[in-house]
Amino acid sequence: MSTLLGPPCYTFADMSDPTHIRNFSIIAHIDHGKSTLADRVLELTHTVADRDMVEQVLDSMDIERERGITIKAQAVRVLYEADDGETYQLNLIDTPGHVDFTYEVSRSLQACEGVILVVDAAQGVEAQTVANAMMAMNADLEIIPLINKIDLPAAEPERVRHEIEEGLAIPADEAVLASGKTGEGVREALEAVIRRVPHPVGDPDAPLKALIFDSYFDTYRGVVALIRVIDGSVRKNMKVRMMATDVVTDVEEVGVRRPANLPVDELAVGEVGYLITGLKDPALVQVGDTVTLARHGATEPLPGYREVKPMVYTGLYPIDGDQYPDLRDALDKLKLNDPALVYDPESSHALGFGFRVGFLGLLHMEVIKERLEREFDLDLLATAPSVEYHVYKTNGEQVIVHSPQDMPEPGAIERVEEPYLKATVLVPPDYVGQVMELAEGRRSTFKDMQYLSVTTVEMHYETPLSELIMDFFDQLKSRTRGYASLDYEYIGYRPSNLVKLDILLAGKPVDALSFIVHREKAYARGKVLTEKLREIIPRQMFEVPIQAAIGGKILARETVRAKRKDVLAKCYGGDITRKRKLIEKQKKGKKRMKSVGAVDVPQEAFMAILKVDE
Amino acid sequence: MSKAADTVLSRDPGKLGPVSLYVHVPFCVLKCAYCDFHSQPVCDVTPEEPEYFAWAVGEAARHWAALGILDDVVSLYVGGGTPTTLGDGLGGILGNLRSIANVRPDAEVTVETNPDTSAPELAARLHDSGVTRFSVGVQSFDDDVLRLLGRCHDASAAEKAVHDLVATGARVALDLMCGVPGQSLASWRKTLERALATGAGHVSVYPLTVEEATPLARHVAAGHLPEPDLDVAAEMMECADDVLGQAGLERYEIASYAREGQRCVHNLGYWTGRPYIGLGPSASSMLPAAEFRMAAACESWADPSVVGVGRVIEHVPADAARVRFTRAADTVAFIRTAAGAPEDVAYLTADEALREDIVLGLRVAEGVTGEFAERAGVVEVLRRLERRGLVERADDRWRLTRRGWLLGNEVFVEVW
Repeated sequence: MSTLLGPPCYTFADMSDPTHIRNFSIIAHIDHGKSTLADRVLELTHTVADRDMVEQVLDSMDIERERGITIKAQAVRVLYEADDGETYQLNLIDTPGHVDFTYEVSRSLQACEGVILVVDAAQGVEAQTVANAMMAMNADLEIIPLINKIDLPAAEPERVRHEIEEGLAIPADEAVLASGKTGEGVREALEAVIRRVPHPVGDPDAPLKALIFDSYFDTYRGVVALIRVIDGSVRKNMKVRMMATDVVTDVEEVGVRRPANLPVDELAVGEVGYLITGLKDPALVQVGDTVTLARHGATEPLPGYREVKPMVYTGLYPIDGDQYPDLRDALDKLKLNDPALVYDPESSHALGFGFRVGFLGLLHMEVIKERLEREFDLDLLATAPSVEYHVYKTNGEQVIVHSPQDMPEPGAIERVEEPYLKATVLVPPDYVGQVMELAEGRRSTFKDMQYLSVTTVEMHYETPLSELIMDFFDQLKSRTRGYASLDYEYIGYRPSNLVKLDILLAGKPVDALSFIVHREKAYARGKVLTEKLREIIPRQMFEVPIQAAIGGKILARETVRAKRKDVLAKCYGGDITRKRKLIEKQKKGKKRMKSVGAVDVPQEAFMAILKVDE
Repeated sequence: MSKAADTVLSRDPGKLGPVSLYVHVPFCVLKCAYCDFHSQPVCDVTPEEPEYFAWAVGEAARHWAALGILDDVVSLYVGGGTPTTLGDGLGGILGNLRSIANVRPDAEVTVETNPDTSAPELAARLHDSGVTRFSVGVQSFDDDVLRLLGRCHDASAAEKAVHDLVATGARVALDLMCGVPGQSLASWRKTLERALATGAGHVSVYPLTVEEATPLARHVAAGHLPEPDLDVAAEMMECADDVLGQAGLERYEIASYAREGQRCVHNLGYWTGRPYIGLGPSASSMLPAAEFRMAAACESWADPSVVGVGRVIEHVPADAARVRFTRAADTVAFIRTAAGAPEDVAYLTADEALREDIVLGLRVAEGVTGEFAERAGVVEVLRRLERRGLVERADDRWRLTRRGWLLGNEVFVEVW
């Protein structure tokens, strides 16, 4: 990492005057070019030598770079010589660009005084543009609109400027026109930051108050917190206290990220940097928490802290049961960098031992699953995603259900409540009908809609989260030819007529195939699913009935006929090697199947319930 | 009758014992719709090519003979393609091979032929020159089925051809195909009955398989033809078992039926671990690793400048016990470097070879001995399969049940 260090001889002393500090963030809808823009800033300020420039330096995880999304927030300090001849300390705080990480975005924004709001010159304002802009407004930040990708042939900066003004009520006559690709407009953007973003204001003599807006785990150093100092200052060897978790610890090191860690003597009012305490347990260093002095510290923490809560749950099972300990170790490791990840051991008759894992959202789930498979070389099977249901039993008990397996018997249930979201869809007017059709099929209640501009309609729905986590987003994209964008926020629990639908193979319920569904949709879902399973489950040596049932009541039935012939009749000189390869392939295929009772079930069967479009 | 446990591994080390010799003739009259074997219609090859090919077969045989591998040839099989497209050139090849290799006087010598290339005179001459057995690709006695398969003959021509071959005094084997789209069970039964009526003493029954890159595969992909129905094929295989069995042809392997004394010695070698040498493009061979090492050390395999289209064998893994290898499917390359290196080589450890012998041995009616299964460490697996009704144990031998004949892969996957 040391090669990523900038010119090594800078001292920050003269730039630590709060009037010469600007803390800002770049916010954008996914794919609008935020990370590329950040790279150009690093280049322009010579923070990273050109030869070391890897595309999108700030997105350091492979998966982030591949998907073009930022998952973990980063904070980089750059030194910028402005047109006024002064050198400024700019702290660029990169925020996660996806709805799953709203809370992290809001914490990152709290560390800033301003934002650059990036809008794609061709795509225009999209759902997360709106959501991010709202968050910045609520945090009372200066917003500098920037219209990006103006080098694209399809760029329409004037239309987009209009959308920003009309749709977001942000004055855009001074919007910066830029291209992250060519570097055009980047300097103008930084000048606008110097000119318009207020410098930080704090009390240098007050007790230390610093906001933890992100953290990561370093194998050698323990938990590294990224902080923004609000009041006072923090130095090596100080005794500090984390206010929410109430732990006291020594400061081992403070420093700044350029983007590699560079230790400094002190972080003072308005500065952004990292803090190493030697704490090894990430749970003790919570995003949103306030760091203060252990003795005579601040009395009130900074506002806005809350514990992150998983929204989506799924069962993760190793395909090879021997990998269970490896899966546990891998989850433990990932949790070090991702306190939002929660998991508990779970076992299934069909799939053996695994974990019920909670995620912030669907993207979070996908990213974690992919990292487990890629970085830890695990073959995993994921069961249908579920949400947290609140079940009120007739005996007055309340149970929290994360997994269909835990659902009480139908007779014992008085009512079930499920989490609802306010979903915001931005879409061109031509596709409003398609969105309505989709939303209606997903038990969503239409609230209102308004024109943001002639080309964009904003629609609001109240939607059960469980409907959204099926393949809502994929469907939305495909029905609107990719034009629609989606954002959502949690609004609370509401009662729904929900039942557990069981799938029976050869007469035996397969726990991993059960799911919770609205009663009115149970029949259709069961029918489609049994039909799909009939196609997926290969013929076995005996007939395999596939049934969908609620309690003891069968809703749908299909049959996989018994296999009568499976032999290669021709087996002479040249066929033998070919035949052996075929048998090996068949054997491998068989190994990848799960034996449920006597039935060999391919993995796709367990995936099938994720993608049932009735 | 050779026993299934007669495996290469139970032989004395360093002593090869009997081998089979196979010649692949890469010419035919017309490619059939389902065929994915290496062969070219004769109208597409230069007139000299068959002659060069005949010479190259001799060269290749000389290479193996020089290594002492052809000292005891118990069966000689000429397949293809359609060997009889070579006409009397075929007799020349056979004579040449007898002069190069030590072919036992009582060796089984089989020539594959088709109803449209086996003129009675040629057949008689071949029989006189030592051919003991003809294997005829009849496929069906139903003209509609024959048309669909792209065969060049009709049912009556096939009947006559087989009749003529039987008249030579040689043994005659028929190949029949079932599970062909559009073929009815009644048509299949009739084909079986007409096959029996010809007097042939050996019948092979193959369900049609759609091989990649054949005209048949294209028809299926385009939706002009339904995919062969496995259930129908299964029923037809059962029907063959009944009809042929009642007529006194014993099913001695998954696809093979024979009157007493007419089992194919050559094919039994494939299922019982007997080494074999294949001559010609796309021909496969199997040798114990010791003999393979000798061949690999020869200049024609080790020197990249003379290897031809094959691959240079740099070293044979130390734990290899058995080697299967195949020449490139390239006639011109074969003619150029007749004794050249194989294109495809598969090494098997002693353990893998044992398991392979079990899998192949189970194809044969007699199955494998209990002692042999024990040595291969598959007794537990076989017991499990016995409970599933796929194998049975009798007279200290493990064998497939009637159901196991049809579901062989279920067994092989477990054993392998």
